[in-house]
Amino acid sequence: MDADVRMSRSFVRNVRFALVAVGVLTVCGQNVAFAGNATEVARMAALAQFDLAAGKPRLALARTEGSQGESVAWQRARALMGTGQVVRARDLLERQLQGQTHRGDAALILGRIANSEGDAAGASRYFDTAARLGFGETRQQALYELAALKLGADDPDAAGQLLAKMEPGYWAALGYMNLAGVYSIRDLNAARPLVALRVALAMSEQDAMGERSASLRSQLLVRVGYLSYLQEDHEKAIGFFEQVPLNSYHMPRALYLHGLALAARDNHRAAMQSWHRARKYPLAYPGVEDAWLGMGRGYDLSGYLGQAGEAYLAANASYESERVTLKKLAARIEADGAWKALILDARGSDAQWFLADSRTLTQPRMAYLLQFMESSVAQEAVSRVSELVDLKLYLAEKQQNLIVWKTSLRERLATDPGSAGMRWAGLADRAETLREQVQALAQRQGAKSVPDELSNTAETLSAVENALNALEQRLAKRDAQIAALVRRADAALTNIQSLSSQVAKLQERAESSLDRVALTFVSDQDKRMAFALDKTEQQIAHLYEYLALEALERGGQ
Amino acid sequence: MVATEQARVATARVSRAGQNALAAAVALLIVMTPALTTADDLNSDINRLKAQVADLAGELYALEESILHPADTQVAVFLTLARKDVLELDSIELFVNDTPVSSHLYTDRERQSLQQGGVQQLYLGNVPHGEHELRAVLTARTGNDRYIRREAEHRFQKRPGESRIQLSLDARAPDYEPRFLFSEWK
Repeated sequence: MDADVRMSRSFVRNVRFALVAVGVLTVCGQNVAFAGNATEVARMAALAQFDLAAGKPRLALARTEGSQGESVAWQRARALMGTGQVVRARDLLERQLQGQTHRGDAALILGRIANSEGDAAGASRYFDTAARLGFGETRQQALYELAALKLGADDPDAAGQLLAKMEPGYWAALGYMNLAGVYSIRDLNAARPLVALRVALAMSEQDAMGERSASLRSQLLVRVGYLSYLQEDHEKAIGFFEQVPLNSYHMPRALYLHGLALAARDNHRAAMQSWHRARKYPLAYPGVEDAWLGMGRGYDLSGYLGQAGEAYLAANASYESERVTLKKLAARIEADGAWKALILDARGSDAQWFLADSRTLTQPRMAYLLQFMESSVAQEAVSRVSELVDLKLYLAEKQQNLIVWKTSLRERLATDPGSAGMRWAGLADRAETLREQVQALAQRQGAKSVPDELSNTAETLSAVENALNALEQRLAKRDAQIAALVRRADAALTNIQSLSSQVAKLQERAESSLDRVALTFVSDQDKRMAFALDKTEQQIAHLYEYLALEALERGGQ
Repeated sequence: MVATEQARVATARVSRAGQNALAAAVALLIVMTPALTTADDLNSDINRLKAQVADLAGELYALEESILHPADTQVAVFLTLARKDVLELDSIELFVNDTPVSSHLYTDRERQSLQQGGVQQLYLGNVPHGEHELRAVLTARTGNDRYIRREAEHRFQKRPGESRIQLSLDARAPDYEPRFLFSEWK
């Protein structure tokens, strides 16, 4: 029996060798053709769903090409949206809206399309439908969008009614934060915005998704703390600021305001500790330049006039140095473009990944990038360039692949199929011998059942024989098939070259648009620094004036 | 009479101020309109280009399948979760005949997609006819909050035509020990 098994194993190795040989000779086969049955459609939809989650909408689109059915149409519509084909996506989404599944999701996307096109009435209708048909996060997003439309139309009461229908969570918290913003503009006192923000804080606690919830919560704590400070409820304000996490982007502003609230309670020492901590952050963050000023003011109010003067001079020097940095940044944007100067170079390459988080908030260039990216105009400008860079890389990779494939196909065309024919005869003989050995082994088993390994080997051998029988026919078609593939590769290469040149032109336009936005931002930052510089100079002038008057008074006595 | 004259002058001032404001607004609109139009033009040009690239991607996908993965030798491996919320995948590695062929680290969105019934194509490649071994190495957090690393092997017979193998992961209470279920798509 052992000998039989050993024989079977060596036999399997022989069959494998034969198969590899056949594989070498085999001409490229047919494209994968999925049957159009329900299971296949469901599989394609599930595959496309994962591709979309993995950020590969182009692959999802290719998979769903030609497939019918609602589930696959929904994934296709999302893939079309992901590849910027809004018009084609809209048709599919409209059909989805009339179907049985994902109706709420489709209505939500249609509402956003209408909103981006400035059709507020259409957007409202779609969001209403999404709120009615959708559930879970979809319904919450639809209600949030409806409330945002009402806020945009300056109707905070209607927005409030919609927000009241929402489940606690991220979207409700975001909605209440926006509502507080509108109340802050309309109201003379901070009572209503404060209530809205406190509701938002309570709502945000119910969000299950960690990172977005933490970011929103930090923002809300700073806002609610600031409003409490304005209401002269300093104790509460301090409590809110102290809840802001240390690694939050909003920390510098929270530290400055924390100091302000402490100073209002005449606790100048503690206030200065907060401002001292805020000064460690780059001046790009809101509140940091005020913290530098606050240090001087703190010493002044504590009666240490000499240190106050030094603190103001230090603030002055830091603002001037920041203006030099900003001028250099503007010069680099003009020379290298904002994409490189502000976006790519901000990443840096010298820090280890595990330091990246703590490094982020203390790097001046990263700080400017974070500040820059707060504006929706900047987000759009950066996203345009980023998409085009992504397209450029994709096309370059595919071009490289096609060139390699084409070379390989041409080399295959140059090989003589006649030599394969000669090898075929030898392989057929070996297959015949192996077949006899399989039969002999099977007969030796007699009445006993044939082991799995032997039956598998027999099956493989049968596949080999079939492949060998079909080989002659396939060899006859080989050249035509390879030539057709080369032609397709050539056509695709021409297409890639044309698209690459279009990408280059559009990238140039998108980058110059980004440069304009970035230079305006840098100029605004410079103005902010110039204003801070004016303030410290005034403080220094007042201080020297006071000291001079004191000296005069002492001289008079 | 004087009051009326003052009112007239004031009205004229307001009217002039209104005209100035209107002129300023119109000027602002004139200044802003080309910028907005340019941004819109650029966006629509980029969207048109993205659509063309997506069409090309479809063609390349088909061409790639024809050139690289002939149906007779093609093997594809897919991953699914048999039930929701039992495993939070961290990474997976796949070996064919002890050769590493694929590895993946999961993002939150990908995990969520798998939990919602998404299917991941882990590997697409070519092997000759005959018997082969597939090995999957998985790291994940289980439903009872344990971090685990498990391996599973599966032997399969490569037959003529495309072979599509599904690896379905399952885990059940109370121990949430992962189970690897291999099956072939017909």
